[in-house]
Amino acid sequence: MIKFWNKRAKLGVITEKPELEESLKKIRKEIKESVKKHFAGSLAIRMVDSGSCNACEAECNALSNPYFDLERLGIYFVASPRHADVMLLSGVMTFNMTPHVKEAYAQIPSPKWVISVGDCPMMQAPYERTYAINAPVTEHLQVTHHIAGCPPNPLEIMEGLLEFLRKI
Amino acid sequence: MRFIARFCKEKSECFEIITIYDEHSEKEEISKENPSIKTITKKNPAGIWFERKMHDDFGIIIKDAFDKRPLVHQERFPKDIHPLRKDFTQHKLQEAPYLPYKYEEIRGDGVFQVAVGPIHAGIIEPGHFQFSQAGENMLHLEVRHFYTHKGIEKMLEGKRLEDAKPIIERISGNESIAYQICYRDIYLQATKQELPLSLQKRHALLLEIERTIHHLTDVGFIPNDAGFGAALSFASKLSEEARRKMRELTGHRFGFGAVSFENSFIDIDGFNEWLNDLEKSLDFFEDWIMDIPSLWDRFDTTGILSLKQAVKYASVGVVARASGIKIDRRANPFYLEHGFRMVNEESGDVGARFKVRLGELKNSIEMMRHFLEEDDTVLEVAKICDGEYQSFCESSMGELFMSIDIKDGVIERFFARDPSFMNWQAVHIMMQKDIIADFPLINKSCDLSYAGNDL
Repeated sequence: MIKFWNKRAKLGVITEKPELEESLKKIRKEIKESVKKHFAGSLAIRMVDSGSCNACEAECNALSNPYFDLERLGIYFVASPRHADVMLLSGVMTFNMTPHVKEAYAQIPSPKWVISVGDCPMMQAPYERTYAINAPVTEHLQVTHHIAGCPPNPLEIMEGLLEFLRKI
Repeated sequence: MRFIARFCKEKSECFEIITIYDEHSEKEEISKENPSIKTITKKNPAGIWFERKMHDDFGIIIKDAFDKRPLVHQERFPKDIHPLRKDFTQHKLQEAPYLPYKYEEIRGDGVFQVAVGPIHAGIIEPGHFQFSQAGENMLHLEVRHFYTHKGIEKMLEGKRLEDAKPIIERISGNESIAYQICYRDIYLQATKQELPLSLQKRHALLLEIERTIHHLTDVGFIPNDAGFGAALSFASKLSEEARRKMRELTGHRFGFGAVSFENSFIDIDGFNEWLNDLEKSLDFFEDWIMDIPSLWDRFDTTGILSLKQAVKYASVGVVARASGIKIDRRANPFYLEHGFRMVNEESGDVGARFKVRLGELKNSIEMMRHFLEEDDTVLEVAKICDGEYQSFCESSMGELFMSIDIKDGVIERFFARDPSFMNWQAVHIMMQKDIIADFPLINKSCDLSYAGNDL
């Protein structure tokens, strides 16, 4: 373990990477203020995949890596819809997932919001309509904000969350 | 004789059942009136999902099957419809009355059921796991998937091969390059062309970057699931850097649209510098992680898939190689010339799968050095000819198989067998000696795809 601590001391904090520093600084300040105002300091997100290709999930996981480190802004991914303020929804709303997505939404305590992430929920990805797809998601749930991209990169997701916070 | 896939094609007069083995394939024609076949699952238990899927998709009766429950069609799916038949053209389904699914359950005094999913606690894809528990001990696990079933096989029918590419590369985000390479091989078979060596090298380079990204994420997440979060921070940093390299090379963080017939510029010096840094970081990581006894206490002897079971269930990819099976689609002259060596372990546990990933990461670095080349070759593609084509590729999860039939210039039938489709069927074997708290760790050590599995 001593090797690890040595390495860590040498490496320091890498989150403030030069090319991201400016934009992150701006976002961080804005997010911090609105999260404090609306959600008593922290925003809890329940991510639900309704039939994506896993790329959006990979990018949401990347939000936790040392370069982005979303949690320092007071935004958390939580394990249960009952702990959540917001549902972050990816995927094309497959026929098989639709009832489960609605159930998860019902379990989120009010007030609650839906943010769709990626092109799939709006049926803008290259996938086409089949018997097994129920998208667009707007036919099933009220969506407050949409983060476009196939998939949106972590920074775009961060910016999207900020826009959502400005909206409400 | 290793079983690879079994699927159905609808012809004008009959149904054709194709069964693919590693050395040969079998074709059986059956009439459209009361179509039925005999099961192959007595010899190849992994055939059961293929046969249940065939029943759902085409309505083919599997006469002596031990499991006749629906697979893709879940509780609310309308009864007696078979979407992959040519006469099925609906684009919207009405929910049918809820018909409960009969899980494989062990019953008895003190035995209880634990249902997990389809929505999981982490940021992962949806799937369901049903455990029969005696206290902490797992007696049985049933893996139930197809929540992300999008009907991709049907979606692609009637499309020109060129127009199918954006969809094929999005079947499984983690394996996009592998799917594109399978598609590329079919495209070249259909145009009767050879791929220039320089393009082959570029595509192989992209495939190894994809593997690097995926394996790096896994070698972080596996320790994380054993309660060792520092490894995830470390490995996810490396994985992010690899993903940025992918973006630098292809303009997309996942390489969507990257496998094309035009070569483009690579900053070789910058790339080599990244490879050297990655190699050093990995050496440090290995040195550090191998030295943590409490972690290896969780890894060793957890989630064992014995060689015998791995062979019986026709496992592929990292899972198979960790159990001692020597299979890898990259074991061919092209890859061997560029530094490929197969990484094998014997013990078949979580630790073995972890070590295989680490070994493959190092081998990928070595291969990428050989694949680097400055070149601007462009392949002019010829006209696509009708026919039945098949291809294979070794994705970061294992052997991927794809079959495309082209008739009158458009896709008549598309079928893909993701490596996960085989390996998911072996996951329940790995659970039998462990406690339920080990499940996330075992599941992550296999790191299988849901989207690719469900199609």
